[in-house]
Amino acid sequence: MEILSTIFTVSLVAATLRTTTPILLVALGGSFTTKAGIFNIGLEGQMLVAAFFAVLGSLWSGSAWVGLLCGIGAAVTMAMIFSLLVVTLRATEGGRGRPPNSRPGGRTIALTTASFGVRGSIGNPGIVGLPRLQVPFIHGTRPWGQMLSGYTPLIYAAIVLVFVVWAIQYRTRLGLYIRVTGEKPEAAESLGIRTTRMQHIASVLCGVFAGLAGSHLSLGYITMFAENMSAGRGFMAVAVLIFSNGDPFKVFFGCLLFGFADAVALRLQTVGMSSYLVLMVPYLVSLLALFALSWRQRDKVYRTMRRTLTASPRGT
Amino acid sequence: MTDATAAVPAARKVPAWAEGPISVVFALVVSILGGALIILMVGENPVNVFGTLLRGAFGTPERVAGSLLQATPIITCGVAACIALRAGLFNIGVEGQLYVGAFAAAWIGFGFQLPPVLHAVVGLAAGMVAGALWISIPAIMRARYNANEVVSTILMNYVAVLLTSYLTIVVFKRPGGWSETEPVAATAHLMRLIDGSRVNIGLLIGLVAAVGLHLFLTRSSAGYSVSAMGSNPKFAEYGGVRVKRNIVLVLLASGAVGGLAGGVETLGVHHRFMEGFAPGFGFDGVIAALLANGHPLGVVVVALFFGALRAGSLLMEVETSARREIITVIPAFLILCVSAQFLFRRRGGVSGERRWRF
Repeated sequence: MEILSTIFTVSLVAATLRTTTPILLVALGGSFTTKAGIFNIGLEGQMLVAAFFAVLGSLWSGSAWVGLLCGIGAAVTMAMIFSLLVVTLRATEGGRGRPPNSRPGGRTIALTTASFGVRGSIGNPGIVGLPRLQVPFIHGTRPWGQMLSGYTPLIYAAIVLVFVVWAIQYRTRLGLYIRVTGEKPEAAESLGIRTTRMQHIASVLCGVFAGLAGSHLSLGYITMFAENMSAGRGFMAVAVLIFSNGDPFKVFFGCLLFGFADAVALRLQTVGMSSYLVLMVPYLVSLLALFALSWRQRDKVYRTMRRTLTASPRGT
Repeated sequence: MTDATAAVPAARKVPAWAEGPISVVFALVVSILGGALIILMVGENPVNVFGTLLRGAFGTPERVAGSLLQATPIITCGVAACIALRAGLFNIGVEGQLYVGAFAAAWIGFGFQLPPVLHAVVGLAAGMVAGALWISIPAIMRARYNANEVVSTILMNYVAVLLTSYLTIVVFKRPGGWSETEPVAATAHLMRLIDGSRVNIGLLIGLVAAVGLHLFLTRSSAGYSVSAMGSNPKFAEYGGVRVKRNIVLVLLASGAVGGLAGGVETLGVHHRFMEGFAPGFGFDGVIAALLANGHPLGVVVVALFFGALRAGSLLMEVETSARREIITVIPAFLILCVSAQFLFRRRGGVSGERRWRF
């Protein structure tokens, strides 16, 4: 009985790691654009396109790594189109008093999600998946080996990248510039930082990560491409980013939460419980996060208004 | 302020009214060339493939009916997306509204007994209510707290698909392990228009909706206020348009039409709710609305084109080795072209803005 319960938790940890990785990778990418002040709605599309082209690359070349590069290339291309539309156009949209992002964001979302919701699937024995790493010493041992060994490299990479992203954002000049661009664009411009260039760079970096995430989906998670296989993870990542404000460590914990929910849903499915309601949980959590944030922002506006309203009589 | 300093407008060679159609035709040509390129890469003869596609879409009267059948939900979904688009909003959750609307209509169809015509009308109305309810929370959150409606409606799509699957498979389970509900009572069926085809009165409903929306937007003051809101919300508010209320109403209307599209599909075509019955009709509708730039009558044209593509690709898959999915690159190229044109058309404005700022 006790052994059963430990296996349950061990495999649940393994499943959590596996389901967390794609959303973590894409959210880490999004953390760059969030820091640069872009509301990145193109994540899902970039991930899906990467998954598609990773499979194609793997099929054509017979190498998973070439597939990975193809996936990244495709996602970066999409990211560049995205930033061209959003960053370059926002300059005019903002000037005319429109809510930023409304029109170009709409175009972009159509561009990425709807059109590249590539239909059908590619399942082919010729697709080469990413190899599974066997961690020396602990591979094959009962609790630890099962929990920490035998994954594709991207799972380990994702966790390392959390720290790398943090280091880029908080320990390099580029990261500082990106953050300043997002927080105080006027200050950045007065210091001679070209904010549009920073936003383009953030966007491309984001594309690289979305490419990793998509390739992981189609070459690591399973070795095939299926219609809409990213299943809204890009939008869940948007919700995580809203909550975490793009801080890499908060992003990590947020994604773990979603990964855990996913893993539990999968587990309940195998137990025989109806999975539909459980599978809804990540989407509902994302929705709640989105609504809660807008609610909170409203609160902030009200609070500042109240403060300004009550401050003057007290002052006089 | 930008217009005053914008670059001198280029000499117009074409009249303004022709710009839209010309750009669409240009986009169409480019995307067909792009599609041909992809087909070549797969190792097929593009002329052969496109010929089969055309025959599959228009070869015989039955096939034309098949194209119309495929176009029906896209027209209605396109109108749904159009309503929101014209008000500057983006309802990308048409797919989800289609699902809940379809389920609600099917539920009325198999769960209740009503006299013939009334039954269908009540079913469609239930679909509309379900679609409107489905978008109500995102709509209210958008209007009151400015929650991004794109993300929320997309997330609602996934919930809608899962919820209707749950209802179909667990709650209204049909003995025998089918992933579909019981058949809808004959009293709720929509009238078929052509013998031997499943084309039904839903096509007319879609066309009427498109024309109605066009008249509403061009002939009524309420329609004008919606368009004004879309082109400049602040100015509209200054002019006395109740923007927040309109946001809710517009999104509710959009959702209701999305639900209507689903109701038409279940009551007119399948006569039951099937899990995963609508492969991307909602998304195609959104794309059609975008390509038509929010013009309801343009949506009909684009939707007919998409319907023909879908119907034709069925035959293409049978007769050539090219897979049906290849055809989906044509809408993808279309979107790319239209976005690119949008980008280049605005470039003058961008440089004007820069000149003004520095």
